[in-house]
Amino acid sequence: MKTPPALLEPRGKVAIDDYIVDIAWSTDGSRLAVAGGEGKICSIENGEGSLAASEVGSHGLGALAVAWHPKNAMFVSSGQDCEVRLYDATDGNVLVRQRPSKAWTTYLAFSPDGSQLASAAGKQISIWNEQLELQHALPPLEGAIAALAFDKSGRDLAAAINGGVVVHRLEAPRFPVRHYRWAAPCITANFSGNGKFLATGTQDGSVHFWYLATGRDSQMRGYPGKVDQLGWSGDSRYLATAAADRVVVWDFGGKGPEGSSPIQLSGHTDRIECLAYQPRGSFLATAGLDWRLSLWLPGKFSTAIDAHLTDSEPSCLRWSPDGRFLALGERKGKLSVFELVRI
Amino acid sequence: MYDYMATTDRVPVTVLTGFLGSGKTTLLNRILSENHGKRIAVIENEFGEVGIDHQLVIGAEEEIFETNNGCICCTVRGDLLRILGQLLKRRDKFDYIMVETTGMADPGPVAQTFFLDDEFKQQFLLDAIVTVIDAHHIEKHLDEMKEPGEQVAFADVILLNKIDLVGEAELERIERRIRAINGTAKIFRTRNADLPIERVLDVGAFDLDRALAVDSAFLEPQYPFEWAGLYELPAGRHELRTGGDTHDHHDHHDHEHHHDGKCDHDDHHHHDHEHHGHDHAHEGGLAVALLSAGAGESTAALAECIEPAVRAFAEEGSQIACGGTLKPANTTYRVDVGHDGSHFHVEIANAGRYALVVEHAPIEFGLRIEGAKPIAERRFASHHHDEEISSIGLTDPRAVDPNKLNDWLSYLLKSRGADIFRMKGVVSIKGEPRRYVFHGVHMMFDGQLERPWPADADRMNTLVFIGRNLDRQELEAGFHSCFA
Repeated sequence: MKTPPALLEPRGKVAIDDYIVDIAWSTDGSRLAVAGGEGKICSIENGEGSLAASEVGSHGLGALAVAWHPKNAMFVSSGQDCEVRLYDATDGNVLVRQRPSKAWTTYLAFSPDGSQLASAAGKQISIWNEQLELQHALPPLEGAIAALAFDKSGRDLAAAINGGVVVHRLEAPRFPVRHYRWAAPCITANFSGNGKFLATGTQDGSVHFWYLATGRDSQMRGYPGKVDQLGWSGDSRYLATAAADRVVVWDFGGKGPEGSSPIQLSGHTDRIECLAYQPRGSFLATAGLDWRLSLWLPGKFSTAIDAHLTDSEPSCLRWSPDGRFLALGERKGKLSVFELVRI
Repeated sequence: MYDYMATTDRVPVTVLTGFLGSGKTTLLNRILSENHGKRIAVIENEFGEVGIDHQLVIGAEEEIFETNNGCICCTVRGDLLRILGQLLKRRDKFDYIMVETTGMADPGPVAQTFFLDDEFKQQFLLDAIVTVIDAHHIEKHLDEMKEPGEQVAFADVILLNKIDLVGEAELERIERRIRAINGTAKIFRTRNADLPIERVLDVGAFDLDRALAVDSAFLEPQYPFEWAGLYELPAGRHELRTGGDTHDHHDHHDHEHHHDGKCDHDDHHHHDHEHHGHDHAHEGGLAVALLSAGAGESTAALAECIEPAVRAFAEEGSQIACGGTLKPANTTYRVDVGHDGSHFHVEIANAGRYALVVEHAPIEFGLRIEGAKPIAERRFASHHHDEEISSIGLTDPRAVDPNKLNDWLSYLLKSRGADIFRMKGVVSIKGEPRRYVFHGVHMMFDGQLERPWPADADRMNTLVFIGRNLDRQELEAGFHSCFA
């Protein structure tokens, strides 16, 4: 048995008193914003071995999403009160409130350089500037948006809908659109870091991906249910997916995954709820309804290299952008931070 | 097939369907504003203005997902998947969820949403599909569109609303027609959708333990008639008449002018019968039989006439035009009720008891023997075969082989899943002390072993199918092939 190259070391826990639905890290990993299903928005300081949470607002009956500005000490939140808010992360004050739609704004994504914020409400994508001023309301899509993601360059914005993934080139005023069609309800949108692939998980138990250069597509079937957890390794070689209690990893090295069998990682004993690949790295974290947080190194280790028990069912898992910290949110409100420690 | 589901802590969901103007929103607002102590989340089909404290009203745009490569039986509501998924993300769950569909919605995808997704199966309990019907317009809607029939077919509870706008005879006719489509739903007649809230919430229609509280009349043997009445008639000539409600006093004097047996008076003065005839055109006339009945207790005497009546109704029967004459006989007459105020003579040679047996409920036609009141009467389950959508009930005491049942149900779901909207059953499995209970929506199927049979003598298979173009013989033969 090889010695694991790294472990997850607990660095702190804090109770949010809400069901954690989303977590966003500041770029340097010193702070987090947390959204609660019953409405709370909290700002958390990731100190040396301790976490300090402060409630900075509430979105009425439920908060939906948070996103941290890639460069500035600012973050945004959205909720079931249909508002989108911009906060000053240093004091938690709300700088701007917007009400872009009568529908819930369910997804928020900053472009990599922070100059643009995309939000999705129903079929509608809105593009905002850093001051949360509306720049463009894109024409409504054919279906409600189930995921939103920028590519690494920040030029393209992908939205998953029933029937495929729609990619907008963010060039005003035309915003050229490419449709990556697939006749299934697509519920995730995942660009690979090398800009070659676009993957999506579907409601009916499959993973679909496209070669962005040619538009050629491929499908991976056989999942027992919806596939809503996908992640690319930092080098874009592996696409990790969750299939019930197993991690299924497709190898895009060599000739690609077509015709090959995926790597299957066992260890969880109940459904995997959260899956997150380390940004720019090769460690994969998963958390399941078995109250277990697992760390994997796909392609090198066929079993988990580290595991921790959680305090309740996990609900959200996010790496800090530098790949050093991992935040785990739980349904009962516990937020834990782990540090990836090389051995 | 023996699929045990987690039953704890599931949030009940009521699906509310009905045409625009049926009173659906009135019902919803009543439920929201009534002091029932429940925290209700309402998913509306549009962004409404209803805002009630502590109740969440969410506007949703219906979005149909076809999964499994477009199989129509596997369509679900994508917007519900998203919104309900979001509502699950809280520690203090709502006590109840109501989903209001658009007027033209097919209830199938909504119901299937709660079966297709494992997480939803664990978290939500589909309580009932409630359909609100505008009594004033439903007949026209049923004739002209497919959606109202589907909404009736899927329902566990039907509110026959706006009954103040229609007459009793019309209500009877509508109810009969609804029953023909859906033999198992509970029907409530309402004004302003006003009824006790427990009639529509926590109904438990999809609760396997309470799966088959079927109106027993629906499972009775089929009769070719719907009503029989026992009369004491003196010898002589009597009048059999139709026209309006029986308590209505129409002026029939113009009948005096017709001696050729043909009536040609117009029927515009009965606007409440405008929609007559879509359902039962009666080109061949309304079948009636007049049978001699025996003495003795009146109900029993009437019951004795049922066998002879079945035989009489097996015969073609002779056509009787308006003004014609009927006599007691072991055959039927087809009387012309094509217009209101038809009248026929009834010749009674010997005073005594006679049973009048009628194909459809007499109240629909105001059919009556003038000056005579039935001393006993009985209604029979209506079984219409002229609706495209209908209900079929099967009962049989013989024990079933579970493998054969599984094979048959699998075959049935695969081959007829698109046409079968709802099915429910309680089955006696050979050697199994517990009842096997199942229900399904299209191809979605859920079944499990439930309470034991109280005694072997009580073992009885009861199966109900509601769907389009159902073939009773095919279903019967299929089920009979499952006996152990």
